[in-house]
Amino acid sequence: MWCWSRFVLEGLAREFSKVKVSPVQYFSQTTCKNTVVVERWWQVPLSKEGAPPRLHPRRHRVYKLVEDTKHHPKEKIELILTQAVPKFGGRGDTVTVKKSVGRNKLLTEGLAVYASPENKQMFLEEKKNLQEGKLEGRLQTHTGEMTVKFLKCCHLEVGMRSHLQYELTKESVCRHFLHRLGLFVPPHALTLPDEPITRWGEYWCEVTVNGLDTVRVPMSVVNFEKPRTRRRKRLLQKQEPKPQEEEKEAQRDGSDEPAKTE
Amino acid sequence: MLKMKQGIYARLPQHYLRSLQEARPPTPVHWKSLGVKYKLNPETNVRERVQDVPIPIYYPPESQKGLWGGEGWVSGFRYANNDKLSTRLKKCWKPQLCVRELYSEILDHKFSISVTARTLDLIDAAYGFDFYILKTPKEDLNSKLGMDLKRAMLLRLARQNTELYPDDSARRDIIYNKYKTFEIPEEEAEWVGLSLEEALEKQRLLERKEPMPRFKTCVENLVHEMAVQKLSEPQVVEK
Repeated sequence: MWCWSRFVLEGLAREFSKVKVSPVQYFSQTTCKNTVVVERWWQVPLSKEGAPPRLHPRRHRVYKLVEDTKHHPKEKIELILTQAVPKFGGRGDTVTVKKSVGRNKLLTEGLAVYASPENKQMFLEEKKNLQEGKLEGRLQTHTGEMTVKFLKCCHLEVGMRSHLQYELTKESVCRHFLHRLGLFVPPHALTLPDEPITRWGEYWCEVTVNGLDTVRVPMSVVNFEKPRTRRRKRLLQKQEPKPQEEEKEAQRDGSDEPAKTE
Repeated sequence: MLKMKQGIYARLPQHYLRSLQEARPPTPVHWKSLGVKYKLNPETNVRERVQDVPIPIYYPPESQKGLWGGEGWVSGFRYANNDKLSTRLKKCWKPQLCVRELYSEILDHKFSISVTARTLDLIDAAYGFDFYILKTPKEDLNSKLGMDLKRAMLLRLARQNTELYPDDSARRDIIYNKYKTFEIPEEEAEWVGLSLEEALEKQRLLERKEPMPRFKTCVENLVHEMAVQKLSEPQVVEK
């Protein structure tokens, strides 16, 4: 019985001691990792003020491991990129990365600097200068480059009704960019050909990304189809390919004369 | 100490002697300080005085050749099964070390230094290796190598016109403006982080004079005497 109660008491004491230790966290200890923190099993008697505490030669050298910071969850560091790094961002972006990546790759190769207050201030000012529109020495951002890459392999289809007199405006092309390609193009970044577009046909338009790179995007103005019809056609196309292929094969096998059914 | 108040010890520069006397306790690394002087006893609800009892830590000689960030060996005992009534076992907790290449901007050199993870974290917290070395006081740095680096950096900053990036003036300005808050006069920077033996040797070399050969002093004396004698003789002026 006595033995049992002793274990219970000890367990309680252990838990209390844990509770006592955990809420008190100091800055100097929160920053460090991989450090052993110990405490004494036996309480040291209180000494007079100013006098050194009197330690028991044996008991007060018995320590209990409180925590090993090696096993804590790994923290991340905040860095500011000094140049565009694929998968991380462009110059001036603040990124939060794993410590190993930051120390071994970004910092050693000079791709990033620490996010210290001075560096933050410096990059903020640089950003402000860029936004004010000083073009000298300006570089395309990482996302800007990606947008240019996307635009280069794009084709825009603009649907217009046939029974209306129309002239294609910038706004409508912008709307089509947003609807069809999911790309927001402000009207001032878009250039249309000089001649007004009033008929169906193949045209082009130019998109300027961040006021730096201009990409010419092919644009075809076609008959407007209701979404329902478009969907229907697509469905039919999906079902059709088999007979089409058969037809083609038949054409190859059978005759040389071109059969234009459509 | 009486020894420090006489002889060559007393002639050491004042700022160096002051730095020896100012020994503050280092920040607790392997134990948690309470941070308060009084605490409420949960059982009696009475305010009681509490005190921090630092755990003695052994710093092996290797720690002076690396940057351990204040870590050292905690050697003592533990109880088996974490049970106070169980066997007492010898235990020594040692820090985990790794060698890292650290680049110093001021010295423009890469150093291979054995460090702990805590040091790397402290470097990150200080925003750079140079800032860590310059900001951290001696007792927290706790390494001869660190103090030598600090002295070298401070000397570079003090002699910025000649030694700090002698070929690249633009880079020199950037680096100097970044670290100019840490600049101290060259005479003081030369003594930073010297051990007592090194400081004594330095002082001895400063005070040392080349011994004068005996015959030279004798000859000088003789010449002087003869000159005096010659001058004291009455001059005969012929008419």
